[in-house]
Amino acid sequence: MAPSSLDVVLKGSSGRNTRGLLRVIILCTIAAAAVSSRLFSVIRFESIIHEFDPWFNFRATKYLIENGFYSFWDWFDDRTWHPLGRVTGGTLYPGLMVTSGVIYHILRLLTIPVDIRNICVMLAPGFSGLTALAMYLLTSEMSDSPSAGLLAAAFMGITPGYISRSVAGSYDNEAIAIFLLVFTFYLWIKAVKNGSIMWGALTALFYGYMVSAWGGYVFITNLIPLHVFVLLCMGRYSTRVYISYTTWYALGTLGSMQIPFVGFLPIRNSDHMSALGVFGLIQLVAFAEFIRGYLPGKQFQKLLTSMVLLTFGLGFGGLVLLSISGVIAPWSGRFYSLWDTGYAKIHIPIIASVSEHQPTAWPAFFFDLNFLIWLFPAGVFMCFQKLKDEHVFVVIYSVLASYFAGVMVRLMLTLTPIVCVAAALALSCILDNFLVASTPSTETKAKATTDDKSLRSTRNPVVGIYSWFSKSVVVASVTLYLLLFVAHCTWVTSNAYSSPSVVLASKLPDGSQFIIDDYREAYYWLRQNTPDNAKIMSWWDYGYQIGGMADRPTLVDNNTWNNTHIATVGKAMSSREEVSYPILRQHDVDYVLVVFGGLLGYSGDDLNKFLWMVRIAEGIWPDEVKERDYFTARGEYRVDEEATPAMKNSLMYKMSYHNFQSLFPAGQAMDRVRNTKLPKESPQLNTLEEAFTSENWIVRLYKVKDLDNLGRDHSNAVAFDKGLKRKRATKHKGPRVLRTE
Amino acid sequence: MRFFTATVLGLLAPSLCAATNLTTPSRLDLPSGFKPPQVFKNINLVRNTNLEKSYVRETINVVVENVDKQPQNDYYIPFPAEVFDRVGGFEVRDKKAPEKGRFDVDYTEAVPSDGNQYFVVHLPEPLAPKSQITLGISYSVLSSLSPLPATIGQADKQFLTYSFSAYMPSAYTTVTQKTKLKFPSNNVPDYTPTEGLKSGSDPERKGTTYTYGPYDTAEVAPGTEHPITVRYEFTKPVITVNLLERDLEVSHWGGNLATEERYWLRNNGSELTNQFSRVQWTFTSYQKAPTSALRELTYPLLPGSVDPYFIDDIGNVSTSRYRPSVGKSAGNLELKPRYPIFGGWNYSFRIGWNNDLASFLRRAAGVDSDSYVLKVPLIEGPKMAEGIQYERVVVRVVLPEGAHNVRFELLEGTNSNGLPGAKHIYAHLNTLKTYMDTLGRTTLTLEVDSLTDEARDSKFVVTYDHSMVDALRKPLTIFAGLLTVFVAAWGIGKIDISIKKR
Repeated sequence: MAPSSLDVVLKGSSGRNTRGLLRVIILCTIAAAAVSSRLFSVIRFESIIHEFDPWFNFRATKYLIENGFYSFWDWFDDRTWHPLGRVTGGTLYPGLMVTSGVIYHILRLLTIPVDIRNICVMLAPGFSGLTALAMYLLTSEMSDSPSAGLLAAAFMGITPGYISRSVAGSYDNEAIAIFLLVFTFYLWIKAVKNGSIMWGALTALFYGYMVSAWGGYVFITNLIPLHVFVLLCMGRYSTRVYISYTTWYALGTLGSMQIPFVGFLPIRNSDHMSALGVFGLIQLVAFAEFIRGYLPGKQFQKLLTSMVLLTFGLGFGGLVLLSISGVIAPWSGRFYSLWDTGYAKIHIPIIASVSEHQPTAWPAFFFDLNFLIWLFPAGVFMCFQKLKDEHVFVVIYSVLASYFAGVMVRLMLTLTPIVCVAAALALSCILDNFLVASTPSTETKAKATTDDKSLRSTRNPVVGIYSWFSKSVVVASVTLYLLLFVAHCTWVTSNAYSSPSVVLASKLPDGSQFIIDDYREAYYWLRQNTPDNAKIMSWWDYGYQIGGMADRPTLVDNNTWNNTHIATVGKAMSSREEVSYPILRQHDVDYVLVVFGGLLGYSGDDLNKFLWMVRIAEGIWPDEVKERDYFTARGEYRVDEEATPAMKNSLMYKMSYHNFQSLFPAGQAMDRVRNTKLPKESPQLNTLEEAFTSENWIVRLYKVKDLDNLGRDHSNAVAFDKGLKRKRATKHKGPRVLRTE
Repeated sequence: MRFFTATVLGLLAPSLCAATNLTTPSRLDLPSGFKPPQVFKNINLVRNTNLEKSYVRETINVVVENVDKQPQNDYYIPFPAEVFDRVGGFEVRDKKAPEKGRFDVDYTEAVPSDGNQYFVVHLPEPLAPKSQITLGISYSVLSSLSPLPATIGQADKQFLTYSFSAYMPSAYTTVTQKTKLKFPSNNVPDYTPTEGLKSGSDPERKGTTYTYGPYDTAEVAPGTEHPITVRYEFTKPVITVNLLERDLEVSHWGGNLATEERYWLRNNGSELTNQFSRVQWTFTSYQKAPTSALRELTYPLLPGSVDPYFIDDIGNVSTSRYRPSVGKSAGNLELKPRYPIFGGWNYSFRIGWNNDLASFLRRAAGVDSDSYVLKVPLIEGPKMAEGIQYERVVVRVVLPEGAHNVRFELLEGTNSNGLPGAKHIYAHLNTLKTYMDTLGRTTLTLEVDSLTDEARDSKFVVTYDHSMVDALRKPLTIFAGLLTVFVAAWGIGKIDISIKKR
């Protein structure tokens, strides 16, 4: 039989080439799918930076490009946290900005005029394509099956758990950090497998890049030592592990210390101590291995026991001593909240007030990972079966990341890669066994051993599926699951994760899209029609957006580095005007910005966040602001006629409803968010005046009045302007006394 | 390899020849104490001042007689130095024969003695003694209307004031003269009546037209002033574009003419007494009441304009709408700024669109001619009833890479096209490197001060040479670049860096 032309292509060395080419094409397609599935918001809206934090990153990137790297490094930003300012250059992870800056300059070198905004918008999708490739590499290290890597890459490309943080416009640290995370792990596995200094050094290099890009690098810092520690405990010490770990630790720690924001944390902070400890431990183990070669067994046993005890005692004592003396910083608050989900709510309300720091709800796992979540345990089980060094890594990673993802919504992101690996291992095993056209040959029977004691079925273990029926059923159901997965991912991405949140979309009755653009309306008004250094006070959520879009100094922003300052703003918002006005004057505030959804039914407005302002203010001034005062006697949070006096007199309440009632017929004002009827009279503002209100009333800006020209207080001045009678001083006069001085 | 070298050499050879008719405006320097020679006499002068728009448009018809013994050809027209820079689109024609085109006009530095700056009109042929010519002078004066009261309530009417002299400031003795004012409406609460200048009431009022004069000023020395102030209702925005940058990008490969315009816009009307009230604005918009705020700009686009966009510093402005052109009719771009622009408020934005190049570009006569002719509008701009004034306009025409021998010419019609003479337009050539250019694209920049939307339909012609070699430069460069990358990659791949023993 002459070899058919197909055989020439599929077999032998040219067959290898064909398969290689096919693999490259598939990977490119996966990367393209990963990029394009993230473009929903660009197509639907425009190329715009999303949400809150990305606006800061975008602003910082523009600063980097305009002023160069060194002034970026030394950037002291006096336009945020007025009047304190922020040492921005030393308190950010520069990796993201530098990456886009480098891309920008390369394109400029090729004289391709790409707007920096478009680079920032497209960075996350671009890197997600790279993540899919890195995923392929990582999974291929775990399995011999050629399909596992490709499946993992495809899963990683489109799974919503990762898309949630990497759609176009979501220009945040996670955009590049997940790629770096996966790639660093790939390099680490490679290093452990080969025991090569080169791979170890490469791991350190990408680890350094990761440190410069995201605070989540601590995850790597702890996971790799844990991997090594577990390997040591399993008695799997080898020179490979020793070489790769010491190379990584020495170079990686040095690299990470180059970032000003990290600085000396790797040797002073408890979060990093495990890496240092394992580094010491592996030296001891290596030394013990060395000694073992020279000493007889019994002496070696004694030496080992005493050495272990001594080291442990010394190490533990030293750690406690250093912690007490303050050389090693105690665990950070965010770290505690990882172990005790209730910790933040009690001690650090500012962390608890962020929705992405809430514990994960169970449906979220299915929502973000779909059928991967039930393939995940199967994949982990298969790792237990093989349990080489790299499989140990998968097991540890799965256990840790599962726990963390359950504690904080945001950490779903670190779970996603390992879920993809494990699920791909499981699924590729199924497909490899069931997607085989030839029936398993039964010739092995002839060689069957004649061991009568064992069962007949185990005597001749023939692995393979005979029945076409079972093959087709399994393959069909797997195909169905895969198709459902794609449909689910597309649906979730399109509906849940592709809203820029700066622009709100709604539908008109005829089905056409109607865009509510109130944020940008107000921000652009500020940008165009106020002095360049007008200070804007708002709740910290909007700080970055005001800095980025309105280009005006703010009091507080999403950096939240100074809790007291935020509490001051909270106090100003939640107190009476007489209390707030001096605070506003002391902080040079020119305009106050509030977000109000009552007209439109926009639920993310400031009145719904108001209790967090109260709580945070109460944390600093427990005597002046009390959360209880804002609830009615029956414990309800109300804004209508029944609202408590503290609520009705608070600046936030007044600013939200100022003049709102005049839009409605008398007595029929409705708040559509809280679905309540409002009092007849709109609240009276004395110390502020309405400066601008956006079309749908979502953003309202108030100008802080200057001191009265005649030296009256503002309530009297307003009353006079309205033609009201001046209130008689009600102070009861005491009996006249003779003045003696 | 020889081919490669040749390519590189060919790419690097500069082919950008100096262009020819580019002008740099220069001002005539006059000696201090200069007085225009009294060689002319204005026999009759009629000044029409149009106040219907947010700037002042004046057309003056004057019969001029040479009273000197020599033929004369320089006629001086004075303006106070502080007004001079705001005079736009200055043009003088022979009223009897406007189709002969505009006269050549120079302008001078300020004369310190009387603070005047002069336009010097060069008559095409010297005017013989005792003979007469009728000049038609037209121009607009920007930013000469000031709101009074300077601050108003949000729903109040807006009033503008305009001050001028009843006697036309002229360098020469004028025998009779009158001024006609055209107001936008009947509502003119204040105006200065004159006494003793003429018999009968002055001004004469007829509908929206007020006439000052005719005055017999044969005995009045030139330069005598008689100030008049009028105040009239103008409840429309006073739209002022501080700067308009307009880019026209010609692409031969793409067959596309891309236009982008960047506006820095401001409403120079009355400012708000109190702060902006959204409630009141909602009611005003609902009733469609006249307002001094700028609500919307309508921008007619040429037929065949596609892909329009309207963005500002922070992204797309979603409130715009484009009604594309059908057949020969113009498309209409309705631009609604993010917020209503009240007096004293600013708004800057950019818009752009594409056109098919074929309707603007012709290859010059001759089969193998490398010469091209581009005919495009100098400015387009929104079309508003209240008019728009442009303080400064910078037009850049980005020609294909390697275009050389660039010339431009403004097209004249029988009427005023709202543009100043060629001497008032600053033109220069430079290069712009973009989209993988090696040499950079030849860019013709025209800068004009003080324009109004009267210049909307003015066109100009750019001719340039562009050969096949120029057109092939970019593909060859990219080819050479990629070739270099592949050869380098292959070469690096060949190097063995392993430390194993062989």
